[in-house]
Amino acid sequence: MPNIERRDFLKLVGAGGVGVGAGYVLRESIKHPKENLIPHIVAPEEYSSGIATWYNSVCSMCSSGCGISVRTREGRAKKIEGNPLHPVSQGKLCAIGQSGLQVLYNPDRLTGPLVQNGVRGSDSFAQISWEEGLSSVANRLELLNAAGRGDRVAFLSEGMSGHLAQLLELFMEQMGSDRLLHYDFDHPHSLYAAHQQFFGEKLLPYYDLKNARYLLSFGADFLGSWISPVHHSIGFGHSREGLSGARGRFVQIEPRMSVTGAAADEWIAAKPGTEGILALGIAHHLVASGYYQGDDRNEWAVALADYSENVVAGKTGIPVETITRLADTFASSEPSLAIGGGSAGNHSNGVETLVAVNALNYLVGNLGKPGGLVFNPAAAGQASQPHQASLRDMLALAEDARQGQIEVLVINGVNPVFTMPNGTEFGEALAQIPLIVSLSSFMDETAALADVILPSHTYLESWGDSFPEPGVGIPTGSISQPVVAPLYNTKATGDTVLELSQRLSFNEAIPWHDMEGCLKEGWRKIFSQRGGRAQAGGFDLFWRELCKAGAWGEEARFEGTYALDKAVIAGIGVQDPEFSGSADDYPFILHPYLSMALHDGSAANLPWMQELPDPMTSVVYGSWVEINPSTAKKLGLVEGDLVDIESIEGSIRAPVYVYPAIMPDVVAMPIGQGHTKFGRYAENRGVNPIEILSSRVEEHSGGFASSATRIKITPTGDRVEIVKTGGNSRELGREIVQTTGESAGTSAKLNSIPITTVQT
Amino acid sequence: MNVSIVPALKALVPAALVVGVAFAGVLLGYWGNDTFSPDTSPVQPIEFSHKIHATDNEIPCQYCHTQARRSASAGVPSVEKCVGCHNEVAADKPQIRKLLNYWNNKEPIPWVKVHDLPDFVHFTHKRHVAAGIECQTCHGPVETMDRVRVKRTTDEHPMEAPLKMGVCLDCHKNFEVEHGTDCWTCHK
Repeated sequence: MPNIERRDFLKLVGAGGVGVGAGYVLRESIKHPKENLIPHIVAPEEYSSGIATWYNSVCSMCSSGCGISVRTREGRAKKIEGNPLHPVSQGKLCAIGQSGLQVLYNPDRLTGPLVQNGVRGSDSFAQISWEEGLSSVANRLELLNAAGRGDRVAFLSEGMSGHLAQLLELFMEQMGSDRLLHYDFDHPHSLYAAHQQFFGEKLLPYYDLKNARYLLSFGADFLGSWISPVHHSIGFGHSREGLSGARGRFVQIEPRMSVTGAAADEWIAAKPGTEGILALGIAHHLVASGYYQGDDRNEWAVALADYSENVVAGKTGIPVETITRLADTFASSEPSLAIGGGSAGNHSNGVETLVAVNALNYLVGNLGKPGGLVFNPAAAGQASQPHQASLRDMLALAEDARQGQIEVLVINGVNPVFTMPNGTEFGEALAQIPLIVSLSSFMDETAALADVILPSHTYLESWGDSFPEPGVGIPTGSISQPVVAPLYNTKATGDTVLELSQRLSFNEAIPWHDMEGCLKEGWRKIFSQRGGRAQAGGFDLFWRELCKAGAWGEEARFEGTYALDKAVIAGIGVQDPEFSGSADDYPFILHPYLSMALHDGSAANLPWMQELPDPMTSVVYGSWVEINPSTAKKLGLVEGDLVDIESIEGSIRAPVYVYPAIMPDVVAMPIGQGHTKFGRYAENRGVNPIEILSSRVEEHSGGFASSATRIKITPTGDRVEIVKTGGNSRELGREIVQTTGESAGTSAKLNSIPITTVQT
Repeated sequence: MNVSIVPALKALVPAALVVGVAFAGVLLGYWGNDTFSPDTSPVQPIEFSHKIHATDNEIPCQYCHTQARRSASAGVPSVEKCVGCHNEVAADKPQIRKLLNYWNNKEPIPWVKVHDLPDFVHFTHKRHVAAGIECQTCHGPVETMDRVRVKRTTDEHPMEAPLKMGVCLDCHKNFEVEHGTDCWTCHK
């Protein structure tokens, strides 16, 4: 041991001392922070801490009516899953349904009634009490009612089924107004009109995808956005893997490959708007080749005379061989099914197209059969489905507003200022209405124009019920229960309407005090009419079991026969599609499609949905324009180039995404982005292609021909980086797509004898 | 010409020595704190005595901690439950007046957690109670304590230790719990 000097020794002692202190403090600092154990003041009855409570309810994120099971803990909703007992969703749920929690917990929710205290659109709202809000609205309605001008009140609501719809009807009846409009951007008006024309009833049938062995889909993006994607996905999965023998085959016909098209065995791009002509070409082959042997085959032959395969091939751009092959397979596969909708129904000839698709089902004889088109029995709850407002109805409403015919407009759950094209000047028309009342839970583009906002509960906080339309082949209904206590000072839509009714003394026609009571009485009727097995325990037991299961159904099926009117056959025919804008000035057709994440934009305020990559392009957060590579090359565009998309109605700017699975003269854009209001996650992100669509009305249905706008593309010279999760879609020597071993392709002598020989 | 780094290293020795001693000190301090000053006995907002309740008055644990046999968390009784008895019992004592104050103001009592597991441990009381494990096995002789404490392992109460992974594993091994030592049994 060497000698240590005194100073060094002191240094060492000092270092050691400081070290010990530092070690002690280090240990102390990483100990558990102090946590509190906060007891309830009064123990709640509904739950025990640490134990999950599940409630069955109904999803309201779109109009499909999927059953959900919500997991709650300590009175808070934690997770939403599909309800396995529900006939629509059968335990499954889509991404938008899963993100319903972010509606409930959204930081941009309106937390109480508001009144506009500046000019409209100035965003200066003041908080008021419910008493003030309700009485100001009720007073206005009372005055109108007393003056006999109740018909100047309009109620614009989201599409709904069930007793809330009935309540709104009663309310408007008492007001003496027939201006109750249920409006959904994506409501398939042309499909309903086509069924009305073909089958004589304005009800959608049940498409039995589950048992179909060959499916022709004309533009229906049934796995992504068409009618009831979750239910269709289950059926499609069964058709692929659950059938005995061969798997079901499926052909998708659309100008831009959707996520459904990507799952198809064959994807065929017919010229936009000619899908119905293609269907008639197939029909022509079915009749001409003798596949169809019905009594009315002569009438069919006459009606389809103009749609020989050659003519159809010329109009659709699809080779004759493909048409005959599709027709042969369609006729020889049993059962086979044809469905149509989506963009194919959103053309100027939408109804004719979908009638033509129905003709295929008729000719192949699948009506009312498993794997075919099954008619729905009458719905359980109400006699009729509420009237859905088409674009024509909405334009009429706007016109009435401009004429000063409307003095009060109540808006519930819809955002027409966002989902109506700019050309309709819908927002400007609303400005003419003296009093606009919004029941929205969020400050969206439409709510911002309101004078009074009486915010609604979210669907996870309110009572309601749903009778899925279209049905699933059996009468069914389900209860929507509150799964958590209301988070804020909001009211269920039904309760707001009921309180207004009480103030207006509508007690005789509308006797209920709350929505729960209204529901119970409605279901008491259903129970007494068709309660069935639960009869023994009386209504209370039935109600308990109904809420627990979340769904109710009967085994009843549609009973009745169907005969086609000969006049319908004679009337069959599909006009050539018409587009807004001349082909010379506007060389491309705009194909707007519903986003799988954002739907029609109503889910744009949910961060989970904003960050969900689009299934075909993997883009997140923004808007993009899909352009075929050959078109992009011609225009000198690469991914990320900002272009102006201009129609006769206006212009929007978005970056290019080069997409191989789209026709060269079609460009596609997803709907959903481009909000100017609607909370921090939705605002100022991307553009809204609806803005530049021409407001062309489909003649027979009054629906929106949203696929009938021509556009031109002008490069701006600017670029942005598209945010996407996918890298390059090409292999680029990365050896990521390897299907053969090392020895493949080497010239070994095989001594085998091939069928064909190589000529050298 | 040879260049040696030895002189330079030699010059560094005193500094290295200081760093080494300081580091040893850190270890010593850390160990000292860990050994002699583990989590102990936090002061509670009300001087609640488990001894008076569980030993003197023989109230079973699960009379108040009702959720232990049903749920992941044992559950701290609601203020209403305390008041249920103490409206009558000992209502004039100062600590009970504190309780009644909370009740009258409809405020929860901010109890301080004594036994706590990190959030990455999935522990459920229900299974352990169902398996017949005594509360004292993990929590120590709470019924003898006026103020609940956690102590360094002693001979009388080997399990009265902070709830560390070793404690869980020892027990799982002793009882030969099925999958008792799998990571995912607790960390999921």
